[in-house]
Order: sequence, then C-alpha cells, then structure tokens
Amino acid sequence: MLTVTWRYLSTHVPYVGQLTIEHIRIVLVANGLAALVGLLIGVFISGRGRERLAEFVLFVAGILLTIPSLALYGILMAVLKAIGADSIGFVPVVIALTLYGLLPIIRNTTTAVRGIDRPTIEAARGMGMSEGQILRRVRIPLAVPVIMAGLRQAVVMNVGIAAIGAYIGAGGLGQLIFRGIANTRPDLVLAGAVCVSALAIGLDLLLSGVERLVTPRGIRVKGER
Amino acid sequence: MIELRNATKVFPDGTRAVDGVSLSIGEGEFCILLGPSGCGKTTTLKMINRLVPMTSGEIFVGGREIRGLRVTELRRRIGYAIQEIGLFPHMTVAENIVTVPRLLGWSKGRRRQRASELLELLGLTPTRDFLDRFPSELSGGQRQRVGVARALGADPSILLMDEPFGAIDPITRERLQDEFLRIQREIRKTVVFVTHDIHEAVNLGDRIALMRSGRLVQFATPALLLAQPADDFAKGFVGADRSLKALRLTRVRDVMDPKPPFVGLDEGLESALRLMREHKVTFLPVVDGEGRFVGWVGAADLERRGGTVRERLTAYAVLGAPDMPLNEALALMFESAVGNLAVTDGDRRLIGLVTFNRLFVFLQQNYEKTAPEEVAS
Repeated sequence: MLTVTWRYLSTHVPYVGQLTIEHIRIVLVANGLAALVGLLIGVFISGRGRERLAEFVLFVAGILLTIPSLALYGILMAVLKAIGADSIGFVPVVIALTLYGLLPIIRNTTTAVRGIDRPTIEAARGMGMSEGQILRRVRIPLAVPVIMAGLRQAVVMNVGIAAIGAYIGAGGLGQLIFRGIANTRPDLVLAGAVCVSALAIGLDLLLSGVERLVTPRGIRVKGER
Repeated sequence: MIELRNATKVFPDGTRAVDGVSLSIGEGEFCILLGPSGCGKTTTLKMINRLVPMTSGEIFVGGREIRGLRVTELRRRIGYAIQEIGLFPHMTVAENIVTVPRLLGWSKGRRRQRASELLELLGLTPTRDFLDRFPSELSGGQRQRVGVARALGADPSILLMDEPFGAIDPITRERLQDEFLRIQREIRKTVVFVTHDIHEAVNLGDRIALMRSGRLVQFATPALLLAQPADDFAKGFVGADRSLKALRLTRVRDVMDPKPPFVGLDEGLESALRLMREHKVTFLPVVDGEGRFVGWVGAADLERRGGTVRERLTAYAVLGAPDMPLNEALALMFESAVGNLAVTDGDRRLIGLVTFNRLFVFLQQNYEKTAPEEVAS
C-alpha cells in the first residue's frame, strides 16, 4: 500500500506540487486574515474593564469552531450567493478558515496580553508610560511567544480543515482524497493524507523558527539565545 | 517638596485604607512610611504618583497639586522603585535604566551614558557586556540595584520606594541599605520609603511616619520615635529593645566625657591614684608628651607605690572615634579588658572618654521619659 502511494506521489510530482501550492495559498491567506483580525480583537478585549466582553467574544469564537466544516462551507456559499459574491471554491473556504483560526489567536493574545506579570506593568505605569505605550513596549513584546503559539495552532488545524475545501471546488490536497474516495483508490486517499500531514508539520516547524526570531531576546528560553 | 493634606483613600468596598493623613516632607529629606501590613503605607505612597487615585484631600508635589498635572508627566518626574522590582524582562539592563529618559525623548548617546553613570553610582561596573545583559541573567542583588538605577533614570528630585530591599537576603539587604545611604548623601533626593521593618526605618530615615489602620500615629525623627513613642501601639511597634536600637542613632561624641581625667606617661603613680579616687574610676587613660593616647593604667597596677606610670602601663590599641555609633562603641567596650573606651581624633590625641556609667546615665535620661512630646495630629 505504502509503495503504491509512494509510486503515485513520485510519478505525479508536478500535479501534487500544484495541489500543495493551492493548499498553502488557502491556508496562508486565511491565517493571515485570522492573525490580523484575531490580534486586533484579542488586544482590544484585553483592555481594562472589558472582561465581560472578552468572555463573550471567546464564547462566540468557541461556538464557531464547533460548526462542522462542511456545514460552514454550505452556509457561507448560500450567504455569498445571496449577496452576489463568488460563492464556490477559494472565497468561502478562506472565509471559513479565517473564522476557525480566530479562536486560538484571540484566546492566546488576550490571555498573554492580560497575563503580564503585575509588578512589571505597575513599574511601567509608575514610570509614566501611557496605557498605549505600555501595550506597545511592554505587553505585546512580552506576549509574542504565546501569541505565536496560538497562530501555530491555528495553522496546523486549518491545514487539515482546508483539505475538505476541495469538496466545494477550492482545490488543494483534499482533491487527492476526494478522488481516491470516489474511485475507491486508497493509495490516492493515503497520498493526500500524507501530504496534508507533512504540510502541517512543515508549516509548524517554519513558524517555530519565525517565533524564535520575533521573540525578544531577553525572554527566550536559555540556550536559544 | 511633598505635602499631603488630609489625604484619604476609601476603596469601593468601603475600606478606609488611608484616613486623613497630613504630612509635609522637606526637600532632600528621607521620609519613611512605617507600619504593619495593611496600615495604608503603600496606598499613601501610591497616591503621591497617582497610581492610587485619592478619594479626598490634597497632595502637593513641588508646590503643585498633583491632579492639576498630566499623570504621565507627574510620574516621569518622580522615581519609582518597588519590592518586586518589575524590570522589563525583554529589555537589557541599559534599556531598563533609561526607560524614563526614553519617554522624555533623550538622544541615544545621552541615554547610554546615563545608564553607565547610574550603574557606577550603584556600585556596578558598567561594562558593555553588563549593559547589554537581560534581567534574567542578573543576581537578585544586581536586579535590585538596576531597579533603583531605573528609578533614578531621568534624575528626578523625588524618589518613591516601596520596600525596595524587601525581597533579598538580610546580608545583601543591609549592604544595599548602607550603599543607598551613601548614594543619598551624594544625590540628596527627596525620598519617600515604605517599610514594615523598624530596623530599616531607623537606619535610613531622617523622619519616620508611623501608620496604623490608615492613620498617622507619629511623625518624628528616629531618635524621638524610639525615645518617646506617642502611644502604646507605637511603643509596641518600635519594640521592647528600643533603647538598644537607639544606640546606633547616637554618636560617641554625644555621650563621651569631653574633659576626661588622664595621666602622662612620666607622671608618678601617686598622682594617678589620686585622680582615680577623685573621679571614682579604676582605669585611667595614659597619654604621651604630645597628648596621644597610649594605653591604660589600672588601680590594680598601683599596689606597689613609687615609680612612674610608664612602668605600669597597659598598652592598648582599641580606640573610639567621635562619630562612631554607640552600638559599635559598646561592642568595643565589652571586648576590651578595660571596660572603657578612649576617644581620639585623627592624630590619636585623647579627646574624650566613654564609660559604662556615662552610657547608662545617658540612656536613662533619654529613654525613661513617659510623657510623649511630639505627637503628630
């Protein structure tokens, strides 16, 4: 079985490469959007006196994550069609993945920004930093590792969910899986699955490198400086 | 420099954390806010830089009511150091120290120079390596010093310190206190310093504001607080050994006999004996021809009449200085066989004498009074 799969992958390099690129494109666009929106929301709801709002936002983001991906694709297609937008393929999948990616990013951002050691914040305030300066110069730099962890989690999760996007014509590695199912070709299903897993692992490794780069030197784990 | 008028803080749950505290702290004064935990000392401190908003009353800093100033501006003019230090872990030592200068828009070169200056002031070597270290790479004592250096960053005239030496071992702590006193003598800041430790308060403060349940109990110099505690609470807080604590506040010159009896090396033993009887002492300091202290002669050495003091001299090298604290003088007296302390000037010339009797009389005069005289309103 593995040999058959391997034979398929090695003889269809351009095709599989094409699918991989499509897959990466979907995931990166969606997670880029999710990171942007998630960071803004996460920082906003971490402000003083917004604890209730934060709870509500995290609750909604949690609910979003429980919607089965196929159902969410279906709902988005209907909505997009109703407003006359591109209702199949890339657009609904990217929107769905953006929504899924929000929870880990918002949650990690708000937890990290709010969870900075109290004396550190008190010292910053006591020395005359404005709340904006505290956010930019103290809270966010110190929150980077946790925010990045949220982003990595979102990416790994979305690489998997993006595969189902092939069902509504978004392309990507999911196509191998759906073709395999339709034609009873387990080697194709396996090839798709292996590629999706490899992609998830690869992107996670890449992001862990990025995480190290953007983590301020003083708070890196010893030995990584 | 700092004036509190009826400063009051009532928390939302109704707790009166600070209740009508009035204090006036002069320029260059080292003022201690002392009291048990929960007495409102930290809240009082934080009202000065508005980390805790006042409920009622007024606070003036440099003649201006603090609520008339922009809060960030007020805080940038006041150094702030806390027990937990709160160094920014993602910033280097240098960056931490010049946090306020950076907020004030100082140039990079000037900031770097300031960081080196301050490290030097605090007894750390400002090597490039050290300036570029991160807080996680420092020892506890070093962090504490960097914390104080950061409070001094933009050379504020006022320093607020909340138990800044609280979280370190007693030995480092005492050393830091001594060093800070030395620095303070150099920089003459107006310091408001919170502590619950009476020893620390007595060592450091020019004046101590003793607080209890949000109220000011007594605002007095350490010597006066120890000598005349305002009430039973104050008496209990300064401790049963208050007269011993006061020893470090008193200098030898305040207790010594400035015109002590003495004999010359070449005088006869008879005159030594006569002096001892006259002054009711068993030891006499002996001086040479130039008035330099050379040792003691004791009554026991004089049994055999005849001859000069030189033949019976017990040479002795332990000397007191006029500005030595009494606790050190007392230790020297215990250790010496003589039980007295000869006080000399820089040239070893005898200028005074401390005896147990004088010490006892002095302490009794100062610490047995019962009527408190200076009580804060």
